[in-house]
Amino acid sequence: MPEKLANVIVKFYDEYMQSTPKKLKIIDAYLVYVLITGIVQFAYCCLVGTFPFNSFLSGFISTVGSFILAVCLRLQSNPQNKLEFSGISPERSFADFIFAHVILHLVVINFIG
Amino acid sequence: MAFKLTGFFALLSLCVATLPGKRTLVLVDNWSIRETHSVFFRSLRDIGYDLTFKTADDATLALVKYGEFLYDNLVLFSPSVEEFGGSIDVSAITNFIDGGGNVLIAASSSIGDPMREIATECGVEFDEENSAVIDHLNYDVKDEGKHTLIVADPENLMKASMIVGDKNTSPFLFRGVGMVSDPDNPLVLSLLRASSTAYSYKPNEKIDEFPMAVGSSTLLVAALQARNNARVVFVGSLDFFSDEFFQASVQKANGGKKFDKSGNEALALSLARWAFKNKGVLRVGKVAHHLKGEKEPPQAYTVMQQVDYSIVIEELNNDKWTPFKADDVQLEFVRIDPFVRTTLTPKDGIFRTSFKLPDVYGVYQFKVDYNRVGFTRLYSATQVSVRPLEHTQYERFILSAYPYYASAFSMMAGVFLLSLVFLHYKEDIKDKKE
Repeated sequence: MPEKLANVIVKFYDEYMQSTPKKLKIIDAYLVYVLITGIVQFAYCCLVGTFPFNSFLSGFISTVGSFILAVCLRLQSNPQNKLEFSGISPERSFADFIFAHVILHLVVINFIG
Repeated sequence: MAFKLTGFFALLSLCVATLPGKRTLVLVDNWSIRETHSVFFRSLRDIGYDLTFKTADDATLALVKYGEFLYDNLVLFSPSVEEFGGSIDVSAITNFIDGGGNVLIAASSSIGDPMREIATECGVEFDEENSAVIDHLNYDVKDEGKHTLIVADPENLMKASMIVGDKNTSPFLFRGVGMVSDPDNPLVLSLLRASSTAYSYKPNEKIDEFPMAVGSSTLLVAALQARNNARVVFVGSLDFFSDEFFQASVQKANGGKKFDKSGNEALALSLARWAFKNKGVLRVGKVAHHLKGEKEPPQAYTVMQQVDYSIVIEELNNDKWTPFKADDVQLEFVRIDPFVRTTLTPKDGIFRTSFKLPDVYGVYQFKVDYNRVGFTRLYSATQVSVRPLEHTQYERFILSAYPYYASAFSMMAGVFLLSLVFLHYKEDIKDKKE
């Protein structure tokens, strides 16, 4: 059973390295970075308490928001989903991504205190 | 010159005669009461009351003329009246009380229906006609065998010195009808109770049913201060106010101590002065509130600010408003529920406090609701709004929040870098695919 699991993981890793476009890999790396930042923040909040709660919320929400936006961008730039997003060009999806980020960070900075 | 002066004094006396709050109508059963109760009436005149005597069945009686009350106070020394004359009836008297008029009622064993009805309207019930308060242990030496001339101990007075005066007086002589108070009426005050051995029944009849009032539930003197501050005092004995009782010596028949003079005069005068708003009257003066260190109230307070509050309370003393003295006046800062409740510190009639507003915003009231036995009800409410902190009033750059700041900025930097790399690699990937 553990061997099988290892096999699955190895196969998954190989498949990922070979068939995933590099563009998506970049996004994945970014996602991992965002995820870790979020987890670190949450752990810090658990340690020192929720005192500047608005700061914690905006910091945490900025990571969550970035994560979600990046996942959306990844979905739209994935060649496998081309049919689903047929009306949306890659340029358009990236512009959406940047526009959403501008709004997100405006809100975050406004709320962080 | 001398003529002018006398004219001035005549005018002055006219003004005094019609001083508001002093016009008093006295209704009597017969004119002899004026003579038999002259000491009491003279004392009332001495305090400044303007007494108008009428018999209770006078056909010209009226309390209201052109929609205004002709009198401020009413003395009903007419227990046996079966029907009032003129336009006065029970509803006229209850309207008079509703309109803020004060009534002093003295009953006796020959009490008629109108008096009983007025009492019932005020939450006090007199016993039946011809009944009397009987006490076989505490009767006076001058009693004639029925044991109805009873001696009431000052111990049985209610603890309300504003109404009943000093407690350390001689005992009181009482001959008359007993009362019970409506237990559901919280405004009725049981001023003087009979002793525990007393009961109320017809003295000439055999007792074949349970008496209406037994023991200390029998009231000799009761009072009502209505919610509009109108005062009504019930005394079960008309003789209680008589010159004879005022001057009489008191001694309990079964070998009690002898007092040369009964306590009736002092108590009667104290009751009358209280009933006719000569004492125990409070009013609210200037109410001020502002931020600590400022003079004027702001448009709206902000949560957690330090606020100074002051209220002027005055007491009527010998027809003059004087600073009120008390250390139990409380202020409540109320938004549906009180958020702050604090005792005010008096100084020369100005009651002050300083407190920190709660960390909850909304529309609040400064409320002073002072309700003490013997005093008129004092109520003052001032509405203010308390708003939350402004956007710029929050604390900034808190040390423990720096990781969050860093995270927020790193997210921005992350997007910036991602954009650069993402755009740069676009062609690269295409190359690889082909």
